[in-house]
Amino acid sequence: MAEEVKIVMFCCNWCSYGGADTAGTARMQYPPNIRVIRVMCSGRIDPQFVLKAFREGADGVIVAGCHMGDCHYDAGNYKLDRRMRIIYNLIEELGIERERLYHDWISASEGEKFANTVRMMVAKIKDLGPSPLKEQIEA
Amino acid sequence: MADKIKIGTMWLGGCSGCHLAIADFHESLIDILELADFEFSPVLCDTKYDEIPELDVCIIEGGIRNDENRELAELLREKSNLVIAFGTCAVYGGIPGLGNLHTVDELTTEAYINSVSTPNDEGLIPNEEVPHLENRVRSLPQAIDVDLIIPGCPPRSDVIAEAVLTLLKGGTIELPTTNLCEVCPREKPPEGLAMDFVKRQMEVGKPEDDLCLIAQGLVCLGPATVSLCGAECPGIAIPCRGCYGPTAKIVDAGAKMISAIASDYRVGDDKTVDPEEVAGQLDDLVGTFYSYTLPAALVPMKMQKGGK
Repeated sequence: MAEEVKIVMFCCNWCSYGGADTAGTARMQYPPNIRVIRVMCSGRIDPQFVLKAFREGADGVIVAGCHMGDCHYDAGNYKLDRRMRIIYNLIEELGIERERLYHDWISASEGEKFANTVRMMVAKIKDLGPSPLKEQIEA
Repeated sequence: MADKIKIGTMWLGGCSGCHLAIADFHESLIDILELADFEFSPVLCDTKYDEIPELDVCIIEGGIRNDENRELAELLREKSNLVIAFGTCAVYGGIPGLGNLHTVDELTTEAYINSVSTPNDEGLIPNEEVPHLENRVRSLPQAIDVDLIIPGCPPRSDVIAEAVLTLLKGGTIELPTTNLCEVCPREKPPEGLAMDFVKRQMEVGKPEDDLCLIAQGLVCLGPATVSLCGAECPGIAIPCRGCYGPTAKIVDAGAKMISAIASDYRVGDDKTVDPEEVAGQLDDLVGTFYSYTLPAALVPMKMQKGGK
C-alpha cells in the first residue's frame, strides 16, 4: 500500500534480534511496517547506515542493542549511545524530524518490549507522515 | 604544432581559486607546454561558448549551481575525450554546497533583499538574462561522466602538474587510499585518537607541538580525509577541515568522522561517561563535518517539510 510507512530497524545479533525472535515465537502481534537488518553489534552501526536508510526512502529508523552492561563485545552499545546523540542533532540540522529516529535497548527475552517499540514507532511515524526526503533528493 | 595535446579548462560553480593553482604551475608549465597547448581556458584566453574546440583533456572546476553550469558541463563533456573533475567543488560540491541547507528562495532573498550592502528598495530579484539557480548544488559527477577526480581546495599546484604531466605522457594516475593521519607528522597517542573534551582553537591557544590535535580536543578531520595534501595544516597546528574530501573507501565523509569522534570520546571511561556529553559539545554539525562535501553526502540537502 502506497500510504504505508516504512521503518528500517537495525538489531544487534545477540539481544535485539533475539528479542524479535522471542516476539515471533510467542506470536505477538505488531505492525508489518518494519524491515529488520541484523548487525553483529549495535556498535557496528555507522551514522552512514542511518543516513543511507533515510536517503533510500525510510520514513523512520530504529536502532536497537543490548542493555547497558550486556553487550556481547563488552562496550559496543556505549559507543553507539554516544554516536546516536550526535546523529539526532545531525538529522535535525538536515531538516529530518528527530522523532523519525529512535534508539533503545531490547534484550533477547524482551519480546513484548520489541513489539511495543515497533507499535510505538509506527504510530509516531504515521502521525508525522511519510518522509519527503527521497522525493526531494531525486527531484 | 598539430600533434600537441589540446587542453581546455573551465570554471563552473567555484571561486576560480583552482584556476589560480593552475596559473601557479611555475616551471612545470614549461614541461607541460612542450606536450600540450591550452586551447580553451577562461583564465588564459578569450573564450566564447559557441567556439569551443574539440579537446583531448578538459579540466573542470566547480560544481553545478545553476542551469548555465549544467549546460556548459554537458557541452564540454561532448567536446572532450577526457574530463577531469578538478578541485573539491567539482568532485564533492565544495563550500557552495552548504547552500543546500536553504531553498533557492531563501538564498536569493538573502542575497538581493536582506543583504545590508545591497540597496534594493523595490525588492527586485533578477530573473531575466541571468542563469537560474538549480534546486541544490550538485557535484560534477552527479551531472556528467567524469574520468578522473583531483580533489583539493585548491589542489596543490605540484600535485596537479604531476597529474597532468603523467597523463600527457600516457601514464595512469592513482589517488592515495590512505588518510591524512598516515602522513601527518604529529605523534599519535598510544591509546588511539581518544579525546576527553571538544575545544575550539581559540580555547586551546597554541596546541602542544608534535602531539595529535584530536588528543588535544580539537576536531581535526584528518582521519576521514585523503592524504593528497601531505598534512600541511596539522603540520602547522591547524586542524584539518577536510578540504580534500574523503578517502575512496568512505561514502559519507561527515558521518564517518562523527562516528570516529563519538566512538573514541573518553573511551577509557566508556561505561561511566554521560552519552550526551560529546553531543552537547559539538555545535553546527553540518558546518563542521560537511563544510566541503555536503552535496556528495548521503543526505545532500536540508529536507523541506511538505504538506502531509
